[in-house]
Amino acid sequence: MADETLRDLPAHRIIGHIADAAARWRNADFPPRVRATAAIEERLGYSTPVIEYALDRLFFGITAQGLETAIAAELGAVAALDGPLPRAHAPAAWARGVEWAVVISSDTTVGVALVPALFALCAKARIVVKDRSDALVAGFFATLAEEHPAFSSAAIALPWEGGSDPVEDELFATADVVVGFGRDDALTAIRARCGAETRFVPFGHRASIGRLSARGVQELDAMRADVLVRDALLYDGEGCLSLHATFVTGRTGALAQVASLLAAAGERAALEFPIGRRTPERIAAIAGYRNLARYHAATRGGAMIESGTAVVVEGSLDAPPPFLPGALVVIPISGDDDVAAYVAAHRLPVQALGVDVVDPASIELAARIGAVRVCLFGTMQDPPLAGHHGGEPRIAPFVRWLDTQ
Amino acid sequence: MTDPAAALDARILAAIVAHALDDDAFLALARDLFAYQIAGNAPYAAFARSLGFDAARLPERLDEIPAVPAAAFKGQRLATFPPERCVLWFETSGTTQGSGGRHEFDTTTLYEAALLASFDRMMLGDGQRLRYLLLVPEPRERPHSSLGFMMDVVAERRGDGEHGWYVHEDALNVEHFLDDAYRAIAEDRPVCVATTAFALVALLDALASASYTLILPRGSRIMETGGFKGRSRIVERDELYREAAHRLGVPIPLIVAEYGMTELSSQYYDALESRSVVEPRVKRAPPWLRPLVVDERGRPLPEGIIGTIRHLDLANRGSVIAVDTEDLGAAVAGGIVLLGRDAGAELRGCSLDAETLLRRRG
Repeated sequence: MADETLRDLPAHRIIGHIADAAARWRNADFPPRVRATAAIEERLGYSTPVIEYALDRLFFGITAQGLETAIAAELGAVAALDGPLPRAHAPAAWARGVEWAVVISSDTTVGVALVPALFALCAKARIVVKDRSDALVAGFFATLAEEHPAFSSAAIALPWEGGSDPVEDELFATADVVVGFGRDDALTAIRARCGAETRFVPFGHRASIGRLSARGVQELDAMRADVLVRDALLYDGEGCLSLHATFVTGRTGALAQVASLLAAAGERAALEFPIGRRTPERIAAIAGYRNLARYHAATRGGAMIESGTAVVVEGSLDAPPPFLPGALVVIPISGDDDVAAYVAAHRLPVQALGVDVVDPASIELAARIGAVRVCLFGTMQDPPLAGHHGGEPRIAPFVRWLDTQ
Repeated sequence: MTDPAAALDARILAAIVAHALDDDAFLALARDLFAYQIAGNAPYAAFARSLGFDAARLPERLDEIPAVPAAAFKGQRLATFPPERCVLWFETSGTTQGSGGRHEFDTTTLYEAALLASFDRMMLGDGQRLRYLLLVPEPRERPHSSLGFMMDVVAERRGDGEHGWYVHEDALNVEHFLDDAYRAIAEDRPVCVATTAFALVALLDALASASYTLILPRGSRIMETGGFKGRSRIVERDELYREAAHRLGVPIPLIVAEYGMTELSSQYYDALESRSVVEPRVKRAPPWLRPLVVDERGRPLPEGIIGTIRHLDLANRGSVIAVDTEDLGAAVAGGIVLLGRDAGAELRGCSLDAETLLRRRG
């Protein structure tokens, strides 16, 4: 066992080890998790309940079934990772993992780099992750190595300075796959340093929006408002899956009712997920936004309700979302065409569309606005492992097909 | 019957000329100005009403005076007079909130008096008549730039008659600047280089790349203003001032930051006693301009505590007396200390942000 490498292990065993490690991390008292929680809190400034929630979402989502489902959906079968599999009317094919993959995440919330890294490991690729100061990835990799020693040489998490560090140069030059999370300039710079045949999988910064149908407005109650507000306020609205603006179908009266319910939900959310540390710049920006909203409400009319740590503001189709913590923007619309026009006018790259019901109309709207996910309110921040984050496959980038004839 | 605007102008002008206004006098004038403004400025009146103030209930304290966010100048006219009486307007810069707005004036008297009174005290305390080398927008090209207007007034009224403009269509004409700088050196004529921080960086970069070092005539000084928002290169002020001192031969205490904004009619300058160092310097307001450092709920903060800066500017007679900003600072004895952005602050999320969206939209 000690001499085995990941290449020697069947994929289902790798998956099992990953799932077992994740199961250990589901325990909030697991010492590595306790250490990581404190370190993440120190790095990001979120309150402990927010980080615990994020880690629960992350590790409860990493299951053998979830990994197998995602892999089988993309490759046909998990066993395709182990050797050539016969295929009807096609050559037998082996989804052979690449040698090296790198994951860089320069601006992300909690554990975002871990998921692609785990899929790379399932493909039996060696992986290097640029770790954050909280060393969450390193902590999880250490647990993996306890599950099986093959992970100790295959899964490496290193902290280093981004930009021009020689470590990066060497990695980008030799990696088969580079997965990058970050801003436009960071991704452009990474892409430029990749080799000609390196696969580059970029995940840029994106926004998510929601649309309440006329029926959804009618049916909105405190419980439904709670889950919608959670989508908006978790992680200070700083994730690409955070609800940044909510479009409300119907008349002004409907909007006022929605705003009132959301404001009350905002009060409750602040109790469950207290706000954490914010920079003075961020605090100033939030205060500036509140002041301006208050001014506009007084001079132009429109809803503006302050509720503890949040503020519900009637937005306009003319203004992009503010992208500020605690800002719940509701925008009245007469129909889905308004949403599509808004997204086009503001060139909003949409990640997820939150809705009160997933039906053909909402799927059609998601397609029109270029969203990569349409989901119910309350699940926006909880993407399934077998989903396609950023519209990308999970494991396919980490394999090269070997056909046999 | 006395025109209320003229009566207020006379009182404000008297304070500017006297360069003195004690707390009680400031509050009294501020209350009268507020009452005048809500009578003629409908949006400001509506905003004030929403906060519980109107002609029948005037603010009792300075911090009660409703402060309009600077961004409110965008998209809505904030003036106490009808549009046809506007004689001058300055364009506020576009920000992350979108396109720019206007700050309108029905007279230039107060604006000019206020800017000259402050400039005289804070930049020309020795009474020198300088030659102005202007690295700011030229009014003929950018008639609605408040900085260009201000420096045009200064150069015309306080200069030696031979000032020059070196920024054209956002490009710096280094050759022209050098010609005029060398001529001033040859004539031993002290100059004032008035510049945006960004233009100063561009000038210093050009001088460095050509290995030029000037020794401007004794008594020369630099007035620097503005930040680097939206610019590709950001330089720390400490580095900027040291390089300016080295390349232009102007001692650091004679490099002075002006802090103003289009939505105001008055300016802050580095306090004389704080100029021996680059950071931190205390920004001093003239007597008719009062800063308040407030928390996120608009409550005034004690000295030394960081908050956002609210300005109460009596020279803003034709618009709004109180303007809220998102600029960070702390009140200290004799003024305020501004805090720059923390360039090293780690970004937390993968969400789009307003600045990235703006860049993507071009």
